[in-house]
Amino acid sequence: MGEDMPLKMSGVSKWFGSFQAVRSLDFDVPKGSIVGFLGPNGAGKSTSLRMALGVLSPDRGEVSLLGAPPNLESLKRVGFLPEERGLYKKMSPRQIITYFARLKGLSNRDAKARADELLEMMGLGEFARSRVTKLSKGMAQKVQILSALAHRPDFLILDEPFSGLDPVNQQALEDLIIEEHKRGATIVFSTHVMEHAERLCEKIVMMARGRKVFDGTLDEAFAALGRAVHIGVAEGFDLGAALAPSGFEAVQEGDHWRVSLKPAQTSQDALRATLDSGAPITSFTPQEARLRDVFVSLVSDAEAQDLTDTLAADAAEGREAA
Amino acid sequence: MIRSTYLVTMRDYLGYVSAWGFWLGLLFTPVIIGIFILAPTFAQNAQPTRYFAVIEQGDTFTNALRQQMDDSVGVMARAMLDPLAIAEDRESEKIAAFDEARANGASVDEAFAQAGGNAAMLPRQDFVEVEAPVSNSAELAPYLIGETLVDTDEGPQPLFAAFVVNETSGEIEYWSENLQARTLISFAREAERELQLDRALASVNVDRSVLSEARAARRDVKQQRVRIGEGEDAETEVTQTDRAPFVVSIMMAFSLWFLIFSVINYLLMGTIEERSNKIFDSLLTSVKLPHLLAGKLLAVLLLSLTLMAFWSFGSGLLTWFVRDSIPADVAQGLGSLLTAAANPALFVPAIISFVLGYLMYGSLFLALGSLCDTIQEAQTLMTPLFVTLMAPLAMLAFAIQDAESALIEFMAWVPVFTPFLLILRMPTEPPLWEVFAQLGLMALTTLLILHLATRVYRAGAVHGAGVNDVWAYFGKLVPGKKSAA
Repeated sequence: MGEDMPLKMSGVSKWFGSFQAVRSLDFDVPKGSIVGFLGPNGAGKSTSLRMALGVLSPDRGEVSLLGAPPNLESLKRVGFLPEERGLYKKMSPRQIITYFARLKGLSNRDAKARADELLEMMGLGEFARSRVTKLSKGMAQKVQILSALAHRPDFLILDEPFSGLDPVNQQALEDLIIEEHKRGATIVFSTHVMEHAERLCEKIVMMARGRKVFDGTLDEAFAALGRAVHIGVAEGFDLGAALAPSGFEAVQEGDHWRVSLKPAQTSQDALRATLDSGAPITSFTPQEARLRDVFVSLVSDAEAQDLTDTLAADAAEGREAA
Repeated sequence: MIRSTYLVTMRDYLGYVSAWGFWLGLLFTPVIIGIFILAPTFAQNAQPTRYFAVIEQGDTFTNALRQQMDDSVGVMARAMLDPLAIAEDRESEKIAAFDEARANGASVDEAFAQAGGNAAMLPRQDFVEVEAPVSNSAELAPYLIGETLVDTDEGPQPLFAAFVVNETSGEIEYWSENLQARTLISFAREAERELQLDRALASVNVDRSVLSEARAARRDVKQQRVRIGEGEDAETEVTQTDRAPFVVSIMMAFSLWFLIFSVINYLLMGTIEERSNKIFDSLLTSVKLPHLLAGKLLAVLLLSLTLMAFWSFGSGLLTWFVRDSIPADVAQGLGSLLTAAANPALFVPAIISFVLGYLMYGSLFLALGSLCDTIQEAQTLMTPLFVTLMAPLAMLAFAIQDAESALIEFMAWVPVFTPFLLILRMPTEPPLWEVFAQLGLMALTTLLILHLATRVYRAGAVHGAGVNDVWAYFGKLVPGKKSAA
């Protein structure tokens, strides 16, 4: 199971004092996949990833990294980009990449050759021997990403890799992730920018307030939100009644009707049924669900749930005190 | 473990030695120490000559004062000819030659040269007598406040001070604008004391030379060894060789203190750099925390060994170049020190103490550095440690007087002081069980400190604990005080 699921977290919880940062987290990362780990700031993403790597120990639950609890041997096959960016300021990019590659097991010669190759590939060849302090923020971030993948890891964990990068470098990083995926690496990255996840991920895990609120494919995420089309018809026409025989549910929302699509139904099916019903159509707008909408919806639900839990806990505490 | 520790060690070590500050410290520390040693002589020679006059009917007091000032230079000259003999209050050929030349009427400079010294090395006399410009104290003021100058070899100069010997009242007055300088007035008091002694001796018809002869005839008190080891010379008189282990132990203890004090800064700065640069997470997914700490401690240990090797090599090279001009007794003294240092009974406990002492203090500084983002933050936590480190330095002063004192013996049982004080005690040949017990206690304490330091380091590196958390922790320990943390 281990090699098929490079990362598996089961019932993992983490407290910092009285604050519970992660609550009974279960998820796994299939081999060869790109998984987006999504959530707002403070959702528990970084804490979860640090537990996945063994930097933090879970207070409850189990973590399996490449088939075993996180250890130095398995970590040699993992590349990690932490959320908090940092480099040795007095070292050069070549020295830094070489150093981390050697810590991951590469020989001095291979590490240097790999550093040169990666720096050239990312257009940083001319800065290879400059001090990090001479690099721009974007360049320094690239160096850190290269340090994470210099040893050709089987599994890449990137915590907020796109933050702080301009659009050009964000695209370059997306390309790099795709390249690494093609090479065979399994990749998990956390982000709160949904567009990257939409473009790159096969699977997403969403977190809010320390809970997992979604775990599945993109299609499943869109399905969770519910798809619909907006249809405008001549005033006075009852589209709800007209579409009911064909199995569509339509609700009037201002000057248009919102027609919900069930999993097997497409927007074309809804248009055909509307035309067949003889409705005088004035407009037709398929509502393309975006991951952002799914995210907002799920996070709002989680926050509402959290508020309910808190109130219930307070009430229980009050009863106990009484 | 070995590979990752080696990589961390080499990265840190090369980072330290590639910094220009390291080389600056390496090259300039001996220069600064040299300046401190030579500063008093420089300062004395740089001081302008001060002129004084004596107003006296006759020259009895004036001659006594001149003699006193001459003798003070003589004392300095004797100390410069053979400092070890003076310190140990023993006889010396050089000093005997100097005294004989003086007795035969030679000046201090001449006697110093005859005894084998370089007269140019003698400190210059600060005070020079000039002819009194007036004959009573009422007319002195313009000269003493600099309105009127006196004639000197350097041309017209202000008069610094004047003595007025009042034959009527029998008082000796000292006049000067400078109320702080006490040297001249001390000479005068000593001269008057000698003068009165001469008068007293004369009143009972005893010549002054009787006193000098009596002093010269005094018997030397020779220190003897109680224990004589197998194969050792049957001669029991204590020699330089016997004292060498004490000198070496003090040098070793001071070297350990100096090295710890001078390299802990690197540990502190290195950790603060990693914390402020947010590198910990990247490191901790590549190397285990204990291996990381071991690598860091080894890097700075290597750095301190580099310093020692460089300075030892430099000293050796310097000694080699000036070997022909080293006096035989100094060379013999150095030989005794090297022989004492090579004695396993001294250097084995010294090496263990050095390693454990370094680990103890090094890991503490490493752990505290992991809690700080800036050096300013670190300073608030470092004060108690610096105070702890200053205590052994104060005890070195006690050990120089008496390495077997109860204070040294007692404090050597306090593990944070053991690394320094055990070295100091070794020449006194303490019971073996005490040596092993103190080494064991020190080893246990080092392990405990390493364990605690690892936990603190983890708190700082992994959980981002900071200075405020430390104060909050101690706040919780205060009874009745509720911490905010």
